[in-house]
Amino acid sequence: MGSLTSYLPIFVLFILGFLFAALSIVASKLLAPKRPTTAKEAPYECGIVPTYELPQRFPVRFYLVAMIFVIFDIEVIFLFPWAVVYNSLGTFGLVEIIVFSLAVFFSFIYLIANGALDWGPIKVQRPASESAPRTTSSTVRRVSSNNEAA
Amino acid sequence: MLATTIILPTINYTAILPELIMLGGMLVLLGLVAVIPRDFSTKTYAGLTQVIGTASLVSSLVLWHDVAAHGAFQAVAQAVDVDGFSVFFLVLVSAILIVAPAFAADYLHDEGIEGAEYFILALIAGAGAMLMGAANDLILVFLALEILSIPLYVIAGLNARRATSGEASMKYFLLGAFSSAIFVYGIALTYGATGSTNLADIAAFLSRNVIATPGTLYAGAALLLVGFAFKIAAVPFHMWSPDVYEGSPDGVVGFMAAIAKVGGFAAFLRVFVSALPTLSSIWEPVVWVLCALSLIAGAVIALSQRNIKRMLAYSSINHAGFILMGLIALSSRGVASSLYYLFAYSFIVLASFGIVTVVAKANSGSAEIDAFRGLGRRSPVLAVFFAIFLLAQAGAPFTTGFLAKFYVVSAAVAAHSYAIAVIAMLSAAVAVFFYLRVVLVMFSGSETEDAVGTPEQHPIVLSRWVWSGIMACAAATVIFGIYPLPLINFARAATLLFR
Amino acid sequence: MTIDPSWYLTLAAVLFTIGAVGMLVRRNILVMFMCIELMLNAANLTFVTFSRSLNDVGGQISVFFVLVVAAAEVVVGLAIIVAIYRRRIGATADDQHLLKG
Repeated sequence: MGSLTSYLPIFVLFILGFLFAALSIVASKLLAPKRPTTAKEAPYECGIVPTYELPQRFPVRFYLVAMIFVIFDIEVIFLFPWAVVYNSLGTFGLVEIIVFSLAVFFSFIYLIANGALDWGPIKVQRPASESAPRTTSSTVRRVSSNNEAA
Repeated sequence: MLATTIILPTINYTAILPELIMLGGMLVLLGLVAVIPRDFSTKTYAGLTQVIGTASLVSSLVLWHDVAAHGAFQAVAQAVDVDGFSVFFLVLVSAILIVAPAFAADYLHDEGIEGAEYFILALIAGAGAMLMGAANDLILVFLALEILSIPLYVIAGLNARRATSGEASMKYFLLGAFSSAIFVYGIALTYGATGSTNLADIAAFLSRNVIATPGTLYAGAALLLVGFAFKIAAVPFHMWSPDVYEGSPDGVVGFMAAIAKVGGFAAFLRVFVSALPTLSSIWEPVVWVLCALSLIAGAVIALSQRNIKRMLAYSSINHAGFILMGLIALSSRGVASSLYYLFAYSFIVLASFGIVTVVAKANSGSAEIDAFRGLGRRSPVLAVFFAIFLLAQAGAPFTTGFLAKFYVVSAAVAAHSYAIAVIAMLSAAVAVFFYLRVVLVMFSGSETEDAVGTPEQHPIVLSRWVWSGIMACAAATVIFGIYPLPLINFARAATLLFR
Repeated sequence: MTIDPSWYLTLAAVLFTIGAVGMLVRRNILVMFMCIELMLNAANLTFVTFSRSLNDVGGQISVFFVLVVAAAEVVVGLAIIVAIYRRRIGATADDQHLLKG
């Protein structure tokens, strides 16, 4: 234990990986033909010339799902040790883990109820103007309120 | 299969019942919000939070009775202490959670922040603050610190419609997480130096052994000190607090200020008095400097503030300096005076920010000192109450504020820390100026200023919620100011059972 | 060649210092997040090293809790950032100047 030789394969692999990546980049730089034009360097937009800078943003929804994933992912850290020694913990362990799971489950229900996991087109949380007839002004208002909610 | 048998800890659930009530109540609210199709009004949730707070207050008092009858004990594999000290904080935090919703209910409703989220977060923070006082293990202290802090970051950013709220939340989060990281590294170093994270074990180890190379231990203790100093906003680790207080939603700042100070000091006092008393010759001078700087800077910078929330933030820093004096005294009398100060401070600050909230709302959201001009004419009763709370902070007689200052200063004098006592009295004298300035603005100068386009001077209408909160805080401030014996005995008993 | 615990401790101290300095000099909020993570993981490395050299399992258990707290902190921090992004573009701490200080 504690000897550096056991890390040797990992080290070799690390070097190899680094070399491969470096070689690929250098080779592509040297060998590939380069004839840049403005049309080539423009952002790809189905052949239409872009009229404005793209807003480089992901929908908030992606962040939301990622955050929820991180939390529920890390909860498992407490379940693994419990599962390993499940037999020797007996009823005590079972009860404790049920209490823990319940706490997690409640927050899960809260998330579902708040629509955090709804995928698909964004729904307006409050019924914005269901009864009102759709005129230009009401549509504009709904779009702007939509942006606030999203 | 593993051949080793695991020794199951016996968990005495009654020992942590107040915390369990808080968290259980929080889960009930969470489930309620999820299941009911249309949210109740914030007032319903505020009422439910008060019920939960009352339940936890009752169970804390039962626990107090247990401790008084049978002495202190430890529970949950020696990680939780149940002694007078922890019970004091259980009672104080429960009381804060009964009072705080009264100030938040109307504000949240008016600002369009419906739903139970604030109350859920407040209950989590409350459970964290309770655990801060009860924790007997550095890892549990860290967990409790985070249980307390993380909801507070969110509460600071609760008002999603105001840019300042998000900014306050961001600043609070960045500096809070920074201090937590420093704190946990301090725990790791202390663990390495002493071989345990249990406070009692650390104290026993340090009293038995002389450490040949104490560098690791000193570094660990220093990082712990920095982590706590951030949480209680002692100068020079105070930068976040004025910004956070100013930017956070008005109706919840009082709660944030009270619960963060209470929780921070609970763990600060316990860790340094019960785990590291043998190092006191090392950390006492450092705490002395923090204390002196907080006393001076808090009072002096508050003088120049125009926004009353910032002024109260700096005055809170000043109060943190006073509370630290109890730690410098290194005596159970000193710690008892700190506890008394924390109790007094919590209710005064809750009510002060509560009144600022309603006045700011009546002046279209402005919390500048000018918004209070002529309040004595406009709503005399409200102005008188605000004057009481300001004078209590300044240390006027017949309030808890006076006795709190008196107790910490006399504890410092009894411990022969004359220099800090003098600094404290000078800073109290400076502090009187900025409190009195607000009082004078309230009771004068309205007719001279009327010419320059003032808002209409109809009286400010307060709901029963805010009134009940103000009355409760005023009662706590005045009754314990005139007849402090029960409270000071409670605080003394809290530290007698304090190892 | 054996590796002394002090190597790990030194590595942890260096990581912690990098994180702390980065926290103070960098202005991008996401980078500041990463610095906090670096500091927490330096503490974790210290815990594990001491746990090994003291032959005490307590340090390893502490790492579990620190990890979970770090995850919770990141989630709350990201949520705060997202809430701010929705109001305005740009994620540097210097843009946050409505409140003095």
